[in-house]
Amino acid sequence: MFKRLKNIAGRRKDKARLSKKDTLASQKREKNKSVQSSVTDNLNLFKQIYKIPENMDVKIREFTLGKSGRKAAILFISSIIDSKRLEESIIKPLLQCQDDDAKISEIIFNPILTPVTEIKKVIVHLNLGNAAIFLDGDHTAYMVDCAKFESRAIEQPQNEAVIKGPKEAFTEKVVVNLSLIRKRIKNEKLIVEATVVSERSKNEVLILYIRNLADEKMVANIKSRLENLSVDAVQNLSLLEQYIEERRYSLFPSVLYTERPDRAVSFLEDGNIVLLMDNSPDCMVLPATFWSYFHSPEDHYLRFAFGNFSRIIRIVALFITLFTSAIYVAVTTYHAEMIPADLLLAIAGTRERVPFPAFFEILIMEIAFELIREAGLRVPNPMGPTIGIVGALILGQAAVEANIISPIVIIVVALSGLSSFAISDVSLNFAIRIVRFGFIFSASLFGIYGMTALFITGLFYMVSIKSFGVPYLAPMSPHYVSSGDTIFRKVVTSEVFRPGYLKPADLKKKGDGSTK
Amino acid sequence: MKQTKGKMGIREFAAILFLLIGTKITDDTPTYLYSGAKNAAWISMLLISMALIIPTILLLKVLSVHKGKNLHEINLYLFGKVIGNMVSFTLLILGLLTIVMDSSVYVDIIGTMYFTKTPTIAIFAVLMCVSAYGAKKGVEHIGSVAWLVFFYTKVTLIVALFFTFKEGNSKLLFPILGPGVGGIVKTAAQKLSIFGDFFYAGLIAPFVATFKDFRRGMFLTYLILTVELTVALMLFVMLFDFTSVEILNYPFHETIRYIQIGFLTNVETLFFPFWLVATFIRFSFYIYLFVLLLGGIFKIREFEYLIPLVTVIFILLGIAPETPLITISENRDMTLQVLSPLLFVLPCVMWIIAKIRGDFKNESSV
Repeated sequence: MFKRLKNIAGRRKDKARLSKKDTLASQKREKNKSVQSSVTDNLNLFKQIYKIPENMDVKIREFTLGKSGRKAAILFISSIIDSKRLEESIIKPLLQCQDDDAKISEIIFNPILTPVTEIKKVIVHLNLGNAAIFLDGDHTAYMVDCAKFESRAIEQPQNEAVIKGPKEAFTEKVVVNLSLIRKRIKNEKLIVEATVVSERSKNEVLILYIRNLADEKMVANIKSRLENLSVDAVQNLSLLEQYIEERRYSLFPSVLYTERPDRAVSFLEDGNIVLLMDNSPDCMVLPATFWSYFHSPEDHYLRFAFGNFSRIIRIVALFITLFTSAIYVAVTTYHAEMIPADLLLAIAGTRERVPFPAFFEILIMEIAFELIREAGLRVPNPMGPTIGIVGALILGQAAVEANIISPIVIIVVALSGLSSFAISDVSLNFAIRIVRFGFIFSASLFGIYGMTALFITGLFYMVSIKSFGVPYLAPMSPHYVSSGDTIFRKVVTSEVFRPGYLKPADLKKKGDGSTK
Repeated sequence: MKQTKGKMGIREFAAILFLLIGTKITDDTPTYLYSGAKNAAWISMLLISMALIIPTILLLKVLSVHKGKNLHEINLYLFGKVIGNMVSFTLLILGLLTIVMDSSVYVDIIGTMYFTKTPTIAIFAVLMCVSAYGAKKGVEHIGSVAWLVFFYTKVTLIVALFFTFKEGNSKLLFPILGPGVGGIVKTAAQKLSIFGDFFYAGLIAPFVATFKDFRRGMFLTYLILTVELTVALMLFVMLFDFTSVEILNYPFHETIRYIQIGFLTNVETLFFPFWLVATFIRFSFYIYLFVLLLGGIFKIREFEYLIPLVTVIFILLGIAPETPLITISENRDMTLQVLSPLLFVLPCVMWIIAKIRGDFKNESSV
């Protein structure tokens, strides 16, 4: 009975689906035709495909050519073309032409002109912002490049600001990003390959690598991973990351984002692969190791000592973020003897009137801090500072006075919260902040023993994970030949090797910086 | 330069050995030496090291002509299927005893010295689960982690020993021969197995990238560990004198309770995490070796899947004795004494058989 009902219901559903005309399949079917010789036929077909005139920005301009009055038409999507260029270099010369035998390529001023015979390809060009010229009695459509997608201008990097060094950042326009990279690498071996990754929206990903540096197996691996993707739409790199990464549930990120072209270029020159996409004001660097999240481009722009000084500060900040709160819980709960007596008395004195165990106290404050942080991010701009003041100052002060929290806890949590801002990479920042809670829990359960247990488990996990075949903590462990750019960096002239874990075709960099 | 998949370099291999044997100075091993050789325990240690150099070289010789085979496979090859399996099985049983007793000792250290109120089983479970997780990741990852933490553990150990030296009194080392030559030699002969892990390291010989790395790693760690253990044994005596150091079960942990660094009066919790890290790695490696050998003997190819089961057995066996300190120390003493002659004789026998079989003939051409 139920089966039958289900069958009926199912059949109905199927029928309903079939009766729908506008499916992806029908969309494909329409395209598998070739350009007709009659302009009217062509235009009718395209009117059907693009649903003109309901589709308001797809425009057709019909006119006659030369003395004989040969019928012609231009088809374009007005919102993504440069109308001035279209007018100057295409329409004007076409209208002014009096010679009947002249070929299109002799009339038009535009540098890029592609003759196309398949409807499928015409559509691809049109969607990319090209204009199509149809002529009566001609089986080809002439595609002229006059695309102009609106986007921001090049601005300063927002998340990876530096004091010393270039201040250009990627924008949402892939052509601009590409030119920013080409500006830095004037090498014909810098290859830019394009792959379409989505079925419906036809999003395009550019794969950049330097041919005689990058490991070809890795390039092939990444290409095949992109090509085997089956999705409807991938808007930008942040989403693409989640499609191509290996461990989707892992806390640790496996690809690196940077909005700085100089950083992308330095990775390219080491043999990494860079992905670019429209609508992403950043690029994706593959493969990435733990150290690349920890580094900042400024480490290398600053002189040796200064760069390493900021690295020390950062690694200290990282450990403070991870451990201070947990150590406070562990020490006050299990290892009180390790605190010098005076400090111990001070802590005991402030904690005297607080009704909660240390673990709970820390947890309240850590959650409060995360709340303020998240709220501060989402709050409209003019109200931002207010939230900060109310949240951090008044709330903290009042909590202490109300004997909910002891003042030392405020210091501990503020320290760990503040330090977390020293880790600039968003993904690593999140990972560290989440792991911190793990340490607090383990500290409350087993004190230092629990923390060490979690730490070593984390280490085991981190050495075992790989980003596109590269161990996460390479080149430190397992050891590889490299310039040793991990926690510290060397003097620039000593950085003579490319990272061995990338298996670059050319391991040694030419020249050690000394004069010839 | 090229890192082959699943193999480790000399750094990782040496780091494992360092942590494996280096941690012995921090458990109750010194006590066994002190009880026999009194304040001359360090001379016994030197003797052990000198005595074992011959079997170690012989073992390396045998391994060098059977590259790509691990200890068990060589056993099978040299002794034949039946006796080879029996030899390996003996090693397995001794390994089992070592793991069970060592883990109880370490849990006892954590329980009595740091977490007096925490139930033993909880400490045991955490220790074994973390180690099992590490073992599951495989030997190359154990090596990676060992190499990552190697410097920090060694630096903290050196710092601790330095402050011990500052507090210690060098006169307590005299009379230099302690109970006399006889006592020293006897102790050394009975406790040869302190360096037994070098023998077991033969099991992972195929995992090291090149045999050259393996040999160099062995010699390097052998040399440095000899120095490290000897110096530590001297320093403990200098700090406590032989009468009390004999009674102390865990001299290292008493030491870090004793010393002060500047205004910090109780520094043991500073050293504790580093010691724990070494401990976790040590047991990860032990568990890995155990299942490796077990898989070898019983022809279980996917031996990693045995780890959870084996771990549960270890925990159950480990918490079985009710007074671990007394039971374990007796049993441990016995195992050490059984293992000692075996570790001395076995490599020699292996070498002789290999010689008779003519394995070394092609050596010059290799």
